[in-house]
Amino acid sequence: MVDLSLKIKDFDLKNPIITASGTYGYNNEFDDFCEVNKLGAVVTKGITLEPRLGNEGERIFETYGGMINRIGLENVGIQAFLDEKLPVLQKCNINFILNIAGNTVEDYIKLAKIAQENDIKAIELNVSCPNVKCGCIEFGVNKQALYELVSIVRKNYDNCLIVKLSPNVTSAEDLATAVQSAGADAVSAINTVRGMGVKLDFINGGFKKTTVSGGLSGKAIKPVALSFIDRISKVIDIPIIAIGGICTLADVLEFFSVGAKAVQIGTANFTHPDIAEKLINDLEKFMLENNFSTLDDLQKKIQKS
Amino acid sequence: MKKNHIGTVENIQEINKNVYSIEFSSPTLEKISAGEYVSILCDGLTLRRPFSVANFENNTTTVLFKKRGGGTEYISNLKIGDKIEFSAPLGNTFTIENKKTLLIGAGIGVAPLFYLEKKLNEIGAETFFAAGFLSESDIIEHDFDFVSTDDGSNGNKGSICDYLEQIIEEFKPEKIVSCAPHPVLKFVAQTAQKHKIPCEVAMEKVMACGIGVCRGCVISLKKDGKTQNATVCKDGPVFNGEEVVW
Repeated sequence: MVDLSLKIKDFDLKNPIITASGTYGYNNEFDDFCEVNKLGAVVTKGITLEPRLGNEGERIFETYGGMINRIGLENVGIQAFLDEKLPVLQKCNINFILNIAGNTVEDYIKLAKIAQENDIKAIELNVSCPNVKCGCIEFGVNKQALYELVSIVRKNYDNCLIVKLSPNVTSAEDLATAVQSAGADAVSAINTVRGMGVKLDFINGGFKKTTVSGGLSGKAIKPVALSFIDRISKVIDIPIIAIGGICTLADVLEFFSVGAKAVQIGTANFTHPDIAEKLINDLEKFMLENNFSTLDDLQKKIQKS
Repeated sequence: MKKNHIGTVENIQEINKNVYSIEFSSPTLEKISAGEYVSILCDGLTLRRPFSVANFENNTTTVLFKKRGGGTEYISNLKIGDKIEFSAPLGNTFTIENKKTLLIGAGIGVAPLFYLEKKLNEIGAETFFAAGFLSESDIIEHDFDFVSTDDGSNGNKGSICDYLEQIIEEFKPEKIVSCAPHPVLKFVAQTAQKHKIPCEVAMEKVMACGIGVCRGCVISLKKDGKTQNATVCKDGPVFNGEEVVW
């Protein structure tokens, strides 16, 4: 028998395979493809205080090795989440992390308090939203704003607090350090990479241009994620959850090698909707065949490589 | 029943220039209803490609498609016996009811209406199938009741929209169902509404997840006086033409 489990603060995960926010719905939507309750955890779609309709116009654009999205945080809002989505998570016995997003510090405080009151065991802060009170600069790109945000959320939330880092920054190390100093229990990285898709049609002697600007995800961003995690793992001690183009067991092991304790699967869920369960099985099989009894043994061995 | 399937290509042929018909069987897919679609994994691509179903019998799905980009290029190169991975059934269904139904298809949009026509005829519903194509060489072979081509090379000259009033007048449908490019769908839905005839439209949009979670393919619906989002992939692809915000 192998033990794939891990613990982040007091948050228990059966295994290190987590599905990423925005790619897996709110609860058991992937049940037609996967045994969702076998996953380490599901990160819910980003939840805001009020429901949001998201962006107008084209929202997705496929690129080489990935896709760009500009969904604009369409979600049902925290109240509908608690009333309609949370009971399904509980009934289906799905381990989950609530992803929350806000436009102001106050939004995050309110959401953190609600998460605490409902005894939600883990939250992930999406800090890539524009801070409307701070000239619409993202919290996640300014180390002082990020430190203050995480500190105040920490004061209002006692369970496992994960901060999702944006790669669109000048110093990954500074932001990761700020998050750790502010009391976060873990970081997840990376969020999507800023990108743009252009489609040019040449019709009747003229060009027609369509563009989609948003966040790039998928295999194409894996090297960016590996580098980001490699750098932050040298300056922080809290667990790192890797995200970025993970599709295979080899990808999972590579991220362990640069310091990740767990991984999130995002865009690959669209290509292979049963991928998350398959990765758990692949990891278990690899450990069995190679005599690793615990995840920690495996990760220590890889990190020595 | 899980919705990811591995199928085997039973037949594939180019039926018109750049238009293909592919049939693939899978023991795990036992049923698919008219309107529901399949989403096919294409080697090297991130997103599966959604296709309406032109026929389904004995665990075998027929899809018609036009070669347009990387995904359809990949599928067009499959050979008999090749494996094909796909998700199905996805989306909602056309309503199958015993009503005098006018089917309006344009271009490759005729495909899901083939399967719908079969299902309607099975329950004894009377149908009238009107189809529009760009030119004679684009016509997909079928026993249509009315055909128009934009250039007049076969059938009536002009867009299928030009003949809609006349067809409604003559056939007097109790219901209209359409699958066509967006401008045609909009015209059909608005004409149906003018005549107070219920209308279902099958819509198309670039999709990522296929099950409503990523919210990448939303359209706006007007329901009970309120505007709300609906995903083409899960809430659709079939919508009440009156509710769509065109």
